[in-house]
Amino acid sequence: MEKKVIPEELNFQNNDKMNLTMIPSRYARFMRTCVIWQFIRFVVLNIKMLIVVRKSH
Amino acid sequence: MARLVVLGGGVSGHTAATFAAKWLGSAHEVVVVTPNSQWNWIPSNIWVGVGDMSKQDVVFDLAPVYRKGNITYKQAKAISLNPEGKEGADTPFVTIEYTGQGKEGQTEEVTYDYVINATGPKLNFAATPGLGDANGLGEYTVSVCTADHAVHASHELDRCIEKMQKGERQKFLIGTGHGMCTCQGAAFEYAFNIESKLRKAGVRDMADIKWISNEAFLGDFGMGGLHMKVNGYVVSSKLFAESLYAERNVDWIIGAHVNKVEKGKAHYELLDGTTGVEEFDFAMLIPPFAGVGLKAYGKDGSDITDQLFAPNGLMKVDADYTPKPYSEWKASDWPRTYQSPAYKNIFAVGIAFNPPHLISKPAKSPNGTPINPTPPRTGMPAGITGKAVAHSVCDLITKGEGVQLHEASMAEMGAACVASAGRGLLTGTAAAMTVYPVVPDFDRFPGTGRDTDYTFGEIGLAGHWIKQVLHYLFIYKAKLKTGWTLIPE
Ligand SMILES: Cc1cc2nc3c(=O)[nH]c(=O)nc-3n(C[C@H](O)[C@H](O)[C@H](O)COP(=O)(O)OP(=O)(O)OC[C@H]3O[C@@H](n4cnc5c(N)ncnc54)[C@H](O)[C@@H]3O)c2cc1C
Repeated sequence: MEKKVIPEELNFQNNDKMNLTMIPSRYARFMRTCVIWQFIRFVVLNIKMLIVVRKSH
Repeated sequence: MARLVVLGGGVSGHTAATFAAKWLGSAHEVVVVTPNSQWNWIPSNIWVGVGDMSKQDVVFDLAPVYRKGNITYKQAKAISLNPEGKEGADTPFVTIEYTGQGKEGQTEEVTYDYVINATGPKLNFAATPGLGDANGLGEYTVSVCTADHAVHASHELDRCIEKMQKGERQKFLIGTGHGMCTCQGAAFEYAFNIESKLRKAGVRDMADIKWISNEAFLGDFGMGGLHMKVNGYVVSSKLFAESLYAERNVDWIIGAHVNKVEKGKAHYELLDGTTGVEEFDFAMLIPPFAGVGLKAYGKDGSDITDQLFAPNGLMKVDADYTPKPYSEWKASDWPRTYQSPAYKNIFAVGIAFNPPHLISKPAKSPNGTPINPTPPRTGMPAGITGKAVAHSVCDLITKGEGVQLHEASMAEMGAACVASAGRGLLTGTAAAMTVYPVVPDFDRFPGTGRDTDYTFGEIGLAGHWIKQVLHYLFIYKAKLKTGWTLIPE
């Protein structure tokens, strides 16, 4: 049978500890550095952080 | 004219001194005593440690800034406090020893009306044999705690990269160098910045990277971890921390007290009492923190250090230090005004104050070795406590003794923290996190101890951009450039 390698899943077999974690899929990794999505997150995160900063002063 | 003396020109001391000088104007004097000639934006030392920034990018000279801020600057270290003065003179004073300004080694007695202790941590490398000694960092490991340490770390990293390029495998060990360390976040950032750097250098497959820390679980960060809402679930930071380590193939040892370091070897004891040895070619192990060792003397010259300071050298403030079990810890144990109970004109801010207890659950190995993170006091709480105390002192000076002191309890304030996981304008990532409050309050927020509407974390490029913006913003603010007071701590 043909071998199916999904690179982002390989680390599950490194050891038992890693086997029991969640590892991001290719889609999740792509979104982390997708400039348009991250620009939106940049705005959202700044607003969230400013709220926490305001609550703390 | 009243005189406020601020000991330490780091994050909290600089904040306190600059705001106090602005609020007091020229009617009163603000003096800063600090041994360094330059201010260091410490969070960016991580990037210096992987060669992505130079030392010059993260420091600037203090003298011109203090001139501009109308602050008297003494490049010296404080040695002792005499809160009641001395025989024949009632005015309290601090004894300092110059480290610069052409007066190196000279001592001076600086009288004060109010003093703010913002001396931060002593990097206690000597606590772990082989990690260092009384003079500081030893020869077997590197550090990123100061800009100079980070420059050295970067050179050592380059040497490892060269070896890997020649086909020699290298083992990296990053984490904490003692069972009672704090600042896991900085080690976390360094581990992932190294990982990212090695990928960019094309040698990641030649490196084994291992994390070793005193946390009982990954993602504890000295705060007992945090819970956040993600995709309809409320989950522990443990899940996300483990996920990142697995994704980047960084193996981990947790619940570890590193008890001895030798050339290429770290010896450790685990929470289950077992011991082990981890080999390395490159290691960055954060030292435990202690107070800087200030002494205090009574009017008659008697040693009263134990009245002002806890045995770890950190200053006692208005916290509830009564020893009690974890189940009885309360948010109200944490200090609110940072005033010394012994002397009302002495305050301590940032890392210099002694916390009432840990935040993480205390843990010991069967051999009795405490292995638990001590509470972190990151930049934001350091800045906020510095500003609140500056406000109190200004009110005391301008309005008189009876004023209500300003309050800033870590059990009521949040903290925003951005942990870099690799630099790059379009490829960088960082975990952007906020916790509210820093110290969990299970009475107000039963379950997680924190408000999950304001406690969150997320990794991505946006976090990296925020970290980069904060780098420029906080250096801009610390240089007292136009509008600096508008930038929050
Ligand atoms: C590598 C690293 C990365 C970090 N990254 C982050 C981050 O990303 N985000 C974050 O929020 N926090 C971070 N932190 C923590 C942050 O740096 C601290 O919270 C903050 O510096 C504490 O401020 P402080 O004023 O108490 O101490 P410091 O900033 O350390 O200042 C103490 C000052 O006192 C001076 N001093 C020492 N002894 C004496 C003496 N005897 N007399 C007078 N002065 C003295 C010192 O020279 C120094 O200038 C990081 C820490 C490290 C080590």
